[in-house]
Amino acid sequence: MGYLLTHSVEYWASKTPDQPAFRMVGKELSYCELWRRAGQLARTLIEQGVGRGDRVGIYMNKCLEMPLAVYGIMRAGAVFVPLDPTAPAARLQHMIDHCGIKVLISHPPKARAIPAFLTDDTGLSCIIGIDDSAKNSVHTIPWAEVDNSSENCPPVALMEQDLAYIMFTSGSTGLPKGIMHTHYSGLSYARLAAQTYDLNNNDRLGNHSPLHFDMSTLEYFSAPLVGATTVLIPEAYTKLPASLSQLIEQEQLSIWYSVPYALIQLLLRGVLEQRQIQSLRWVLFGGELFPPKYLYALMQLWPQARFSNVYGPAEVNQCSFYHIPEAYEETSHPIPVGHIWGDAEGMIVDNQDRPVSAGESGELLVRAPTMMQGYWEQPELNAKAYYFRPVTSDISDRFYRTGDLFLENGDGLLEFLGRKDRQVKIRGYRIEIDEIEKVLSAHPQVEECAVYVLMDEDQNVKIQAAVIVVSHSQISEEDLLLYSAEYLTVYALPETISRQTEFPRTTSGKIDRKAIQMQALQQKPMNEMQI
Amino acid sequence: MKDKITRFIIDDLLSGMQVSDQDDLLLNGLIDSIGVMRLVSFIEVLIDKPVPPEDVTLEHFVNIDAIYNYIEQRES
Repeated sequence: MGYLLTHSVEYWASKTPDQPAFRMVGKELSYCELWRRAGQLARTLIEQGVGRGDRVGIYMNKCLEMPLAVYGIMRAGAVFVPLDPTAPAARLQHMIDHCGIKVLISHPPKARAIPAFLTDDTGLSCIIGIDDSAKNSVHTIPWAEVDNSSENCPPVALMEQDLAYIMFTSGSTGLPKGIMHTHYSGLSYARLAAQTYDLNNNDRLGNHSPLHFDMSTLEYFSAPLVGATTVLIPEAYTKLPASLSQLIEQEQLSIWYSVPYALIQLLLRGVLEQRQIQSLRWVLFGGELFPPKYLYALMQLWPQARFSNVYGPAEVNQCSFYHIPEAYEETSHPIPVGHIWGDAEGMIVDNQDRPVSAGESGELLVRAPTMMQGYWEQPELNAKAYYFRPVTSDISDRFYRTGDLFLENGDGLLEFLGRKDRQVKIRGYRIEIDEIEKVLSAHPQVEECAVYVLMDEDQNVKIQAAVIVVSHSQISEEDLLLYSAEYLTVYALPETISRQTEFPRTTSGKIDRKAIQMQALQQKPMNEMQI
Repeated sequence: MKDKITRFIIDDLLSGMQVSDQDDLLLNGLIDSIGVMRLVSFIEVLIDKPVPPEDVTLEHFVNIDAIYNYIEQRES
């Protein structure tokens, strides 16, 4: 069905025009309305000079105008760039400048935050979705004007290799890097996901992830591919698990996809025993490790649902899955990430890029149609991001270097060992920081944990752990250390384990380990510790 | 009582940003998840009773009026 991401919406707009494509807090956009109004937005954009390949920013909280922005920008032949609505002004300014964004799509709740990143030399020429009451220096077009514009949107010449979107992710330099995806890579992901999870037009998908987080592509691309309905979950619900479980029940969601944190919150504080959640048929989780004790508990509560562990850096969308067996037993062994999915190839290599023997660990390299085009305007990063396997003297296969360490276990399943850059050496011993987290998080009284390293003045690596314990737990730091000592070699034991009530998090809900590390650093005398 | 809640929200959670009693604190993203937890702890101290997870909902925390109504209901 087509070769551009927009073709799915066009198809369903004629086949099932009244079927809701997106819903939020009781309001909805049918496929027909989505196609029509996205066309009006596309026309407005074209009138503002936007054309094929131009980047258009999306700066809004979750709302029904968000899917309009995504599809309107693509219908204009342009590239949508979702900006984190909670990002600080300097970061927003960087993303806008770096991508050369001239037009931004927003809405009134964000209007007050806009002047903070509008500098005198801004390249922005137009903001759609707000009025000019904030006296911004750039031209503004409110949504009402967009909705009054002509529905006649001129067709734009575009092919599947054209860029469709750029998603920013944290870079090791401190500046975010833009991951470029084409219509081809986005649609390849949409198709593979729809096949893998057997999606159909009766499904109702809960969109928990913010748009700027790559997990949102399941709801934004795969759901429209099969004509299903996506329910946008306002950010506020993610902070209120008891309201979130109510929403899942009321909206009769059938597909759930989120980071494990959201599921853990639902399990611990979502009063699931008071809800009737029988509609859920498939629960997908990824982005972080899911402690098996919580997975097991959820599987007991939702016996009708299938559960799958999803793995894949945003650079390749997704590349593997593990369907949890029905007879899953609680274990302290981490949940495998499973198999590389159809139409993708994975290879585990050592430090010299040589394939490792079966059962040995190494970095995973992936080659797939879902792979990014590269990082936007980052020649140095792009030179390092890939491994090229020669085919002939002048042609080679391109693999993305995931930076993640894996091994293939005896059952042929991939097991995640940790980030390559989260491997440290202490007294010559190689230690996976993520291994320590797995041990601590398996403790029944540990809700979540984060392990990080600091260096003392002699450049000695010091392992530190921060934990959130379950409510009313009296467990002491010493108890947790003694427990860790049962599973970890002595040099991998954390120097300190500190109890905390909450962790700083990224907007996608992942634990922000860098922020925890910075906080710890600020509590120590500067001359003693460093990162 | 209502003043105390308003002061805590404006001074401690919103760094001085003024909001009315009916302004939506949650759907607009004014208060983040750590903010919600701090607010819950603050109310627990204020009424000297635990706030159970099933009460931490949009209905009870959406704005200052809702929070105040919830507290009144718990105290009666």
